[in-house]
Amino acid sequence: MATATAPNRRKSRLNRQGRAAHVFMLPWLVGLIGITALPTLASLYLAFTDYNILSTPEFIGIANFERMLADDRFWQSVRVTLTYVLVSVPLQLAFALLLALILDRGMRGLTFYRSAFYLPSLLGSSVAVAVLWRELFGHAGLINQALALVGIEGSSWLQNPQTALGTLVILNVWTFGSPMVIFLAGLRQIPEELYESARVDGASVLRQFGSITVPLLTPIIFFNLILQTIGAFQAFTQAHVVSGGSGGPVDSTLFYTLYIYQQGFTAFDMGYASALAWVLLVFIGAMTALHFLLSKYWVFYGD
Amino acid sequence: MREMSRRNLLKFAAAAGLAGTTAACSGVGGGSGGGGGGGGTDGGGSATLRYAWWGNNVRQENYTNALNAFMDDHPEITIETEFAEYTAFQERMTTQMAAQNVPDLFWVPSAQVMTYYANGLFHDLEGVSTLDLDDYSEADIDGLRLDGVHNTMALGIFVPVLRYNETMAQADGVGLPEGEAWTWDGFTEFAIDYAANNPNGNWAVNYGPDHDLTLEAWLRQRGELLWTEDGRIGFTADGIASWLDFWENLRVNGAAPSISEQDGVGADWALIGERVLSYFGNSNHIIDDAQFFPEATFKLRNMPVAADATPGHPYLYTPRLAVYGEIDEGSLEAAGTLLNYSVNNTETLRITGLTMGAPVNPRVAQEVTEFASPDEQQMLDAVAHDRALERNPRYEAPAGSSTWRTILTRVSEQVALEQSTTIDAATAMIDELQAAIDRAA
Repeated sequence: MATATAPNRRKSRLNRQGRAAHVFMLPWLVGLIGITALPTLASLYLAFTDYNILSTPEFIGIANFERMLADDRFWQSVRVTLTYVLVSVPLQLAFALLLALILDRGMRGLTFYRSAFYLPSLLGSSVAVAVLWRELFGHAGLINQALALVGIEGSSWLQNPQTALGTLVILNVWTFGSPMVIFLAGLRQIPEELYESARVDGASVLRQFGSITVPLLTPIIFFNLILQTIGAFQAFTQAHVVSGGSGGPVDSTLFYTLYIYQQGFTAFDMGYASALAWVLLVFIGAMTALHFLLSKYWVFYGD
Repeated sequence: MREMSRRNLLKFAAAAGLAGTTAACSGVGGGSGGGGGGGGTDGGGSATLRYAWWGNNVRQENYTNALNAFMDDHPEITIETEFAEYTAFQERMTTQMAAQNVPDLFWVPSAQVMTYYANGLFHDLEGVSTLDLDDYSEADIDGLRLDGVHNTMALGIFVPVLRYNETMAQADGVGLPEGEAWTWDGFTEFAIDYAANNPNGNWAVNYGPDHDLTLEAWLRQRGELLWTEDGRIGFTADGIASWLDFWENLRVNGAAPSISEQDGVGADWALIGERVLSYFGNSNHIIDDAQFFPEATFKLRNMPVAADATPGHPYLYTPRLAVYGEIDEGSLEAAGTLLNYSVNNTETLRITGLTMGAPVNPRVAQEVTEFASPDEQQMLDAVAHDRALERNPRYEAPAGSSTWRTILTRVSEQVALEQSTTIDAATAMIDELQAAIDRAA
């Protein structure tokens, strides 16, 4: 009898712990269901409706998705967003890795530099920095004032469709601190003996970087790539503030999320905005899946 | 310290979780809340009203002071204020409408009048006994009716004007064309000549094809309208193209800055204010904009008039204040009291200033002259000038047209950056706008 009681007691304790765990999870669960899951499901339904926020949604099948095909501004927002992702993410990761390599050399004041370089990551997507960007890259901004010192007369970088997106790419690259810290942690995990052996064998610094650092860092590069790619697809605040919400000039900074926002909250076309949002969700999901699929060809886990 | 037993811990956690859930569920409410709130009145006749408006921080402070003064005089009425910058105000209203949690009294953005009306956001004001309409003429009230229903009040009156820097004009020894020479062509000729010859390299005028009130003045002089009575586009591609041509002529000839120099199609006044002689805008803007350059004296001119302008082309623009259609009926009289205070009380305007234009109420319009600042007096005179003229009816923007100014800005950019001809840009604008109106129909 005593032998039968012990497992029962343990099972009962585990049940009680399980119940406690669920109770503790409750606030998060309520938030997940109420604030994320239900609105997400609702938006899926709304994507198939004509819904202007104020009246009852009317089911229209796939008309919203068909409309996208002939919507020039939809395609422009796709072009802008893809350009932004393809240019800013590799640049940001390269810059973050470069800084991480420099900081990994054990320089004096490392903690200060690490914090200083991380700071833009905290501020980069804020409204204040986007406003600052306007001041920096405007016609009479600091950049043009600096150029004037060497005799170059610049025009507003933000009002030129050729350069406006570039300023937002620079803003994103500037927020390299977050991937840099992760790279730094990854670099610390690489055994020093590998470098010592390579040095004994006469490998140059470049060879060590190419044959040791990069291969052993690929899981971290992959992790950062996924995070930053998803983040870049969802970029919104900077474009909204810098362009005053228009995505201008002439739609040159019309990010996809900004277009969704314009349709939903300015044009009151929430059905179409929902459809746009779902296309983005599916696209990001597909891109992430593709990343994982391709990762087996270049990510080295050491097992 | 005594340890908490697991049973007690679970009880505590459950209570905390429940409290959190309840808080989450109740978080959207607050105030009497148009449709969703917890009732604006109690058995004693007191009421809590939510009042929403937009503007800059000065206006926020002034109106907050005025609403506090109202509560001092009406201790039975509590006002909860909801303020935002113009664009953010519209975005928040959109969300509040979706949640049926609209403020009890709210200012109405111009592009949204018919959209809000079509969705029942305005309460009929007929029979609200606390709203005193004795000072108004029948024409004043008729001008506010939508489909024959009096459901909003006007906060004030704006008219389109040309604001000019008199100090700069005197320093440069120039004067704007007068009398019969005050035409669009006369102004253009003067502006190009001024820009070419003034010693300081100033521009004659801002580049402003995206300004709605001046565009409307242009169109009405051509015999076109912004919107028709039956909710359609009232202008032609030729009308918009001629407007864009007017601005391009000024820009190309150096009389107006490029969009790079003025930081966008909508000029940054703080950036170019010291370098432009004149500025097309709203009559009320002089009150805030003049503060940027206190050493200068600014004057207002009513719009230039084309030699062949259509009779009755002048118009008045009236920003509106509404009571939510689903307001707790027990709070309606209190809302009427606050409405009355907002539009019929001279002392209110002494606190808020006249940034929302000249009062519609003729008695108040007369009384505010006693304390109006010189800039405000300029504004009052400009409005009084157009108010005295013969005016054809003006109609509000139809549902679905809420993005029309964004579209106008975009096509103006295309023209200014020489990516499109004016007629192509105008045609594209009409096509896009018509599609949006059709979708909303």
